[in-house]
Amino acid sequence: MSSQTKRRPTGADTSLTFRTFLALSVGKAAARATQLAGRGGGTSITGMVARRVDPHILRKIVLDRGEPVVAITGSNGKTTTARFTAALLRGEGVIVSHNSAGANLVQGVTSLAVSYASIRGRLPGGVLVVEVDEGALPQVAPEMAPRALLVTDLFRDQLDRFGEIYAVADAIESVAAALPPDAALVVNADDPMVATMASGREGTRVTFGLELDRSTDQITRAADTIRCPRCRADLTYRHVYLSHMGDYKCAACGFERPAVDVAVTSLEVVGLDRTRCEIRTPSGNLAIEIPQPGVHIAYDAAAAIAILVGLGVPLEHAAESLASVGPAFGRLEKIDADGRSIVLAFAKNPTSYNTTLRALAAEGEPRQLLIAASNTLVDGEDFGWLWDVDFELMAPKVERAVVSGLRADELANRLKYAGLSPRKMIVVEDRCDALEAALDGLPAERRLVVLSGYTPLIELRNEMRRRGWTGRYWEV
Amino acid sequence: MSEPSMGEPSRPPARSRRRPEEHDHRPLRIAHLYPSLLNVAGDGGNLIAIARRAGWRGIPVEVTAVEKGETPDFRKFDVVLFHGGQDVEMAVAAEDFAKKAPSLREAVDDGVLVFAVCAGLQLLGHRYISNAGEEMLGAGILDLETRGGQQRFMQHAACEVTIDGATETVVGFENHSGLTELGPGAEAFGRVVAGAGNNGRDGLEGARAGNVFATYLHGPVLPKNPWLTDRLIEIAVSRAEGAPFTLAPLDDEIECHAHQVALAKAMANRGRRTALEPARLVRGLKR
Repeated sequence: MSSQTKRRPTGADTSLTFRTFLALSVGKAAARATQLAGRGGGTSITGMVARRVDPHILRKIVLDRGEPVVAITGSNGKTTTARFTAALLRGEGVIVSHNSAGANLVQGVTSLAVSYASIRGRLPGGVLVVEVDEGALPQVAPEMAPRALLVTDLFRDQLDRFGEIYAVADAIESVAAALPPDAALVVNADDPMVATMASGREGTRVTFGLELDRSTDQITRAADTIRCPRCRADLTYRHVYLSHMGDYKCAACGFERPAVDVAVTSLEVVGLDRTRCEIRTPSGNLAIEIPQPGVHIAYDAAAAIAILVGLGVPLEHAAESLASVGPAFGRLEKIDADGRSIVLAFAKNPTSYNTTLRALAAEGEPRQLLIAASNTLVDGEDFGWLWDVDFELMAPKVERAVVSGLRADELANRLKYAGLSPRKMIVVEDRCDALEAALDGLPAERRLVVLSGYTPLIELRNEMRRRGWTGRYWEV
Repeated sequence: MSEPSMGEPSRPPARSRRRPEEHDHRPLRIAHLYPSLLNVAGDGGNLIAIARRAGWRGIPVEVTAVEKGETPDFRKFDVVLFHGGQDVEMAVAAEDFAKKAPSLREAVDDGVLVFAVCAGLQLLGHRYISNAGEEMLGAGILDLETRGGQQRFMQHAACEVTIDGATETVVGFENHSGLTELGPGAEAFGRVVAGAGNNGRDGLEGARAGNVFATYLHGPVLPKNPWLTDRLIEIAVSRAEGAPFTLAPLDDEIECHAHQVALAKAMANRGRRTALEPARLVRGLKR
């Protein structure tokens, strides 16, 4: 990607080739077909089909027309941060197109552009907010030339897909370093490897993080980067906020957390319901209450606010905008199943698992559990990381666990070694049968906690939709 | 339901309900090397497997984390676990490990059981030479040498392992690019059934010399190979107590199912390298 801007003003002559027109038509038709067939929102198929017809379709409707893009990448928090960003921008009167279903590989991002574009390839104007898988970013970014790039954090996530976390960091860094000077780079100051990313680059840079006078977490074995990114000595932490994120310093070389532009200065998590925080921004302080629980929610909110700061969009209505953003599908999403209560929790790596387990533990959960993992292209092949999850803390509470998914075998073994008696477990690989089994044995006063990776969660949620308990996952 | 239920698994015997023929064991002393540096891919599950399976037989364990800068006398341990890590962490560990190596060598001469995975295997060898030609010295406890390779082996894998005349299949997940060659002083840990093994060429997996076992298999390997875990515990306890010791069998239905699924996956991949798409993308960008 060259540093010179390749944007042409919107409305310039961007004659649509027949191939592009065909790609748009076929992609949109594919989306309708999958939706009519009840097979999901067509969140990846649209892009897959459109790219097959015209491999440059994304470039043509986004880059060539100079559409402003906010790209959100990193290991955790992409979906929630994208939702916050979209809500904040809409609250300030900006038109937003946004991939809300979390399909974030190149096909998913292309789907977003194709489905929002008119049949002539024109987007509705305003800003395109896209979450981009950290592995797909190097391919996606040059086709979109983001006006703002946010890196949420970097955790060990799907080592079998990426090899090593350092390769992921290098890939994101080279995209960040190549951003033109008029683009904004927004980074998490509390994550040592992210905080230093492309620090030599010219142009807008906004940092976000927590500035609390207490720790909200401790370093666990799921922690990834606790060595100094400059000299590799061990970092020491004044406060640890979430896994390896916190206020850190290297005693050996003096490297420390950079100044935080958008800082969470107070934080209160209320049960499984809400998060209250105060956020300091360059233009004043904001008091915010979000109907989702967790320290990570505060991070995501600060990140989204930092994006608006980076874009130079004023924050006049931030509190109202965020007050109505409920959980994305499967982020401790509450579902009423004909009078029975289900909490859906999406967990895909040790950090998201441990974060979720901690939020649940505060409520004495999970007691009745449906837990699922499947090996797919999106979810990865190697599930060794399950052994880095602190299931030991959860095991004593669990009264009954239905273990499901294509890798139910590994999960069941992990839970046994975490101290959950095999007598309390049943293995039901099929997701729909598992849901049935879990609800069958659910005592009236209990809620069912569903902990699941991406693919089985969508399967379970689709089953709940068929039963009329919830809307479609891509519409949450 | 597509999957039969797990049947009626037995509750692992609690420590207090020991069978009469079992005698008192002193705690099995385990050194866990660099838990905060070498902690990828769930290798910590190996420690969990040993601790649980020993505990279910009434053998308590005492785990000591041995981090950077600490140089204990390794002869006071019964088991030393040395796991895999990413390149950066491995380099940090390698520098420190030089200071631990003399004591570990003495312990190995005393018959202390060492179980090493991936980076642990490489650092127990003579040296690791990276693609850039940089040399990282190992302990020389195992007669092997590793060079950086061009491709990364990432797949389910299986090998056959023989311990005390009994041969069983061991399954796991390999994720390494180093190419290891064994010298005459080391035998292989296993013979490759599916996967790349030490170098994708000679059909050998890992290395073994006496009570030192080293493998490239993550997974983590011990939880889904209860046979191997039990043999390792028996070797360690026999040495600690100075008398041959055999573990009572457990109900391993869940473990065996996990083993079978992993084996089926490894066999399905046999003869095919599974380089996964996004890894190629990440590397592609660094050209």
